[in-house]
Amino acid sequence: MNTLMQLHFGKAAELLVPSLMHGFGVVIQATVLGFLLATIIGMMIAIGRLSSLKIIKGILYVFLEIIRGTPLLVQLVYIYYVVPLLINLLASLFGYKIDMQIAPLTAGILGLGVNYGCYMSEVIRGAIIAVDSGQTEAALVLGFGKYQALFRIVIPQALRSIIPSLGNYLVMMVKDTSLLAYVAVNELLLRTQSFASQTFFTIESYTYLALAYLVISIPLSHLVKFIEYKLKTNRR
Amino acid sequence: MFNIYKLGKKFGDLDVLKSISMNIEKGEVVCIIGPSGSGKSTFLRCLNLLEVPTSGKVYYNGIILDADLDSKKLRREVGMVFQRFNLFPMFTVLKNITYAPIHINHMKKEAARELAMSLLEKVGLADKADVYPATLSGGQQQRVAIARALAMQPNMLLFDEPTSALDPELVGDVLEVMKQLAADGMTMVVVTHEMGFARDVADRVIFMDKGYIVEEGPPEKIFNNPKHERTQAFLARVL
Repeated sequence: MNTLMQLHFGKAAELLVPSLMHGFGVVIQATVLGFLLATIIGMMIAIGRLSSLKIIKGILYVFLEIIRGTPLLVQLVYIYYVVPLLINLLASLFGYKIDMQIAPLTAGILGLGVNYGCYMSEVIRGAIIAVDSGQTEAALVLGFGKYQALFRIVIPQALRSIIPSLGNYLVMMVKDTSLLAYVAVNELLLRTQSFASQTFFTIESYTYLALAYLVISIPLSHLVKFIEYKLKTNRR
Repeated sequence: MFNIYKLGKKFGDLDVLKSISMNIEKGEVVCIIGPSGSGKSTFLRCLNLLEVPTSGKVYYNGIILDADLDSKKLRREVGMVFQRFNLFPMFTVLKNITYAPIHINHMKKEAARELAMSLLEKVGLADKADVYPATLSGGQQQRVAIARALAMQPNMLLFDEPTSALDPELVGDVLEVMKQLAADGMTMVVVTHEMGFARDVADRVIFMDKGYIVEEGPPEKIFNNPKHERTQAFLARVL
């Protein structure tokens, strides 16, 4: 009984929840921008790998292997700590003296964008291949060029067919923003960690943290399911 | 319009077209018949460079067709209708028809819309302008596809087995539209299994087999009095 009296959920909520609300803003910013970047990167990789240029295909294949073979956390740390150093080093080789640094959130968004872009590229590539080749031919015989046919006719159909799986990546990305704590982005986890270490409300703080993620991810995943259902029933 | 001289097409080791020589005149309706695998569709696809010939020469109004030609310009003038319609499923019927005129011919939206409506009128589907292709029957989809090809105001149209994917009772409407086009003077090359259509509408029928033109001539001659035994055997099977 005494032990339970030591829990202060009310007090912890009072102090932590406002901070977590600010953290939400960071999470949303990182997710929206990261996902946008991932979609663009995913599309570029998908199109590059479908091109007939062997050299581009080769480079992209190696890049994909590297990104998929290393953890997102390592990539984030690499982008935040190592990439600026490498750029500085390269600049000094050419006689320039610069001191480049990368803002935590920028590094986080870049990391999420590149990592998710690589995984999403495979989904996008599959969807592009799955669009009936007759669609491309129909566009070609009307006088559209190869790339016009791809961007105007094929890709819109491909993206439509993979909205559900892209939605799942979005939900995953929301949760993976917690890794941004390791590159000093002041998101939910980092805020909670510093709060818990100052107040020793360990149980309370991390419980609220978990709840905070659930508050975003459960409605979001249901939204994705709803969209999937709508697309299925509206398939025209 | 087309002068074709010893046209050949190989896919790897597969010799699909061996040596095709013929001319196609303005206003002519040419029907190509023959067993499947005889190279009919490949021949048609060489005329708008969906396939690039591997040997021989094809001239369109004096311009040679090869990999260097701006195929976009050629295709604006030589339209095509496919066996499987290939309408754009995410666009309405109207947008399917106006899309290329607006984006390729830089037609004004209003003008393109008017053109599309008059074409839909022509193919008997004016009431379907705002629906999506998936809600239409195959025959209706094919008529929309014809309207879409006509909207680019081509000099000629290629038809690649336009009725082969249709239920038998829907074939008639599509053929009716094609007959009307022929009567209006459109130059047409039609790969078809509809012998009745070929007999009634074609100025010239071409029988192809194994990558060659085996026999050609006016429909009466091909259907009533085929010279070559392969033509006779084929017609005996399909008529």
